[in-house]
Amino acid sequence: MQVWRVFGALWQVPLLAGASVTAVLLLGRAGWVVVALSVALLVTLLVWYPGARFRRWRWWLSDLALLLERGVLVRQRSAVPYFRIQQIDVVQGPIDRLLGLATLQVTTASATGTVGLPGIANADAPSVRAELLWRAAQAVAAHPGELSDAV
Amino acid sequence: MPSDGLADRRLHPASILLGIDLRQTIQALIFPLVAGFAAGGRVILVILAVFGVVALIGRTLAWQRFSFGFDGEVLRVEEGVLSRSHRALDVARIQQVEIDRGAVARLFGLAALRVETAGSSSEVEVELRVIPLADAEALRDELRRSKAAAGDAASEGEGEHALSPPPAESVLRVPLRHVVLASVTGARLLVFPAIVGVAFQFVGDAFSDWAAERAEDLVEGLLLGRGALDGFGWRLALLGVAATLVASVATAVVVGVLRDAGFRIERVGDDLSVTRGLLSTRSSVVPLRRVQKVEVHRNWLRRLLGFAAVRIHSAGGSGDADRRVTVPLLPERAIDDLLAEVLPGVAGIPALTAHPPAALRRTMFRWLRQAVLIGASAIIAWRYAPFGVPDVVPWLAGALLPLFAVLAVVEYRQLGHGLTARVVAARTGALSVVTSLAPVVKVQAASTRANPLQRRLGLIIVVAHVAGPGGDVVIADTGTERGHWLLDRLTEHAAEPVAPEVRPQVLVMGGPPATADEG
Repeated sequence: MQVWRVFGALWQVPLLAGASVTAVLLLGRAGWVVVALSVALLVTLLVWYPGARFRRWRWWLSDLALLLERGVLVRQRSAVPYFRIQQIDVVQGPIDRLLGLATLQVTTASATGTVGLPGIANADAPSVRAELLWRAAQAVAAHPGELSDAV
Repeated sequence: MPSDGLADRRLHPASILLGIDLRQTIQALIFPLVAGFAAGGRVILVILAVFGVVALIGRTLAWQRFSFGFDGEVLRVEEGVLSRSHRALDVARIQQVEIDRGAVARLFGLAALRVETAGSSSEVEVELRVIPLADAEALRDELRRSKAAAGDAASEGEGEHALSPPPAESVLRVPLRHVVLASVTGARLLVFPAIVGVAFQFVGDAFSDWAAERAEDLVEGLLLGRGALDGFGWRLALLGVAATLVASVATAVVVGVLRDAGFRIERVGDDLSVTRGLLSTRSSVVPLRRVQKVEVHRNWLRRLLGFAAVRIHSAGGSGDADRRVTVPLLPERAIDDLLAEVLPGVAGIPALTAHPPAALRRTMFRWLRQAVLIGASAIIAWRYAPFGVPDVVPWLAGALLPLFAVLAVVEYRQLGHGLTARVVAARTGALSVVTSLAPVVKVQAASTRANPLQRRLGLIIVVAHVAGPGGDVVIADTGTERGHWLLDRLTEHAAEPVAPEVRPQVLVMGGPPATADEG
């Protein structure tokens, strides 16, 4: 959540500042409305949005699949069956590292079927990954012969 | 061909020349050439000659260092002059084998062999370009045989029939008149105008501006409705339009026939073998077990005539339009038979469930938004543009609204999806209707999403993620409950795949009936 706030700030502030400046230059008096709107938007995006996003973000493991639910405006649910998992990466950005967090990236054979599990504590990441890999291996072992080939 | 495969060998020496990728070369050279000619004559010729010699030496070295071999399990390729690369490709991983013969290659009895695997890189995994045709066919058959043997070993079947090449059984033949019809009713009609457009650009840029100016005058006169056109001018313009039309149709037919003449699909063992082309022929082998997705395309013209085009996607690395397997045209009644052949255990397009009436509001919203955007920009252009925009433009923009509303209703009518024990299907599109089908065994993951508007309308989008460059199966705007139900079913199918029996080749079409799920 912290990460999202900082990260969001990184691109939102310059963007909205830019919009404000151009608005003032172009529109004169009316431009201040844009500035006010920008500030309001920035506050919402910085204060409310990361929290809301965090509250809505959840993932859990079912018998068959890794399940995710997320999204404040656009709500998404995804299911990645263990059997289809091809690869799991641990990804850490600079802010992630600062806060001791990591993101697990779970890849399937489909280019669009990749999901990320953000905000996992550094210490937990290997064990979560191991758990997922173990489940994936179990799932593959349960399907003998040519079926074990997911593609 | 001995069953222990091929010893290491080289490409045909002709590959020094024929192996050059013409398209790439032209793309690389076009700019320096044009610039050079603009700069001045003699020097450029010298530079070109030097370049040619260097390239020739490079090609020769590359040919010398390129070798490949197949030992019955692994296809090995060694190449590279400065940085050497060794590749080993396991036969079980192969998605598609293709023999490609350009006009020149056919003249000399040569062919290019392409092998694709399920990588996500956009390049072909292995390309042997060029080798003698007999070698290419032998290697293809050898790969196919080894693959079948490997598959049988894995599924504990007896691998006896793998030893003798199975007979080819015709699945589909597209007669020439259908190829012609496909060209005339498809996007290929635009080939000629596109070429003319590009040529026009070049002509206008490089040589005299006279023709371009004339044409511009003509177009401007037309647009502004000024009296620029007298009786003679009108006749000329009509003649021009008619000529363009005729030329477009002719080009489309020629391009289509060159590309797809003699299109046929055969069943060889557990593979589909697709052959097409008039001057340069191409034959691809798609293992039935590797088919990820099938799309049935029907634009409005073809719908009227009762035809459709069918596109077969495997998980091959390159999503190049040229390499996809597309049946140019087949009668609608033949679709189900083809699907039964391509998707094992699927009897045809399943019964599709219509979407809730709320979906109409969303298609309407999307089409009207489009109309309003176009209309607004047209009106802004008409009002403020520095050049004269004729007064009809805003009216035309206004006429878009009812037109797009009708399209929205059409699109809603076409929306549909179906899920059986074997296949997931979705139909979308207003003018060009696309029905996508993916075998549920090939669904890699599933997801749903809904934006605020959709949530208010109780709608949701369901996506069945599929491997390969063919894209996913997207079920747009179904009811929320139904959507979550679909997500759960898809997840279960993806987690517990039950592979359908690939129909034994000798039997007549049938297979287990696809059970329709009730919503």
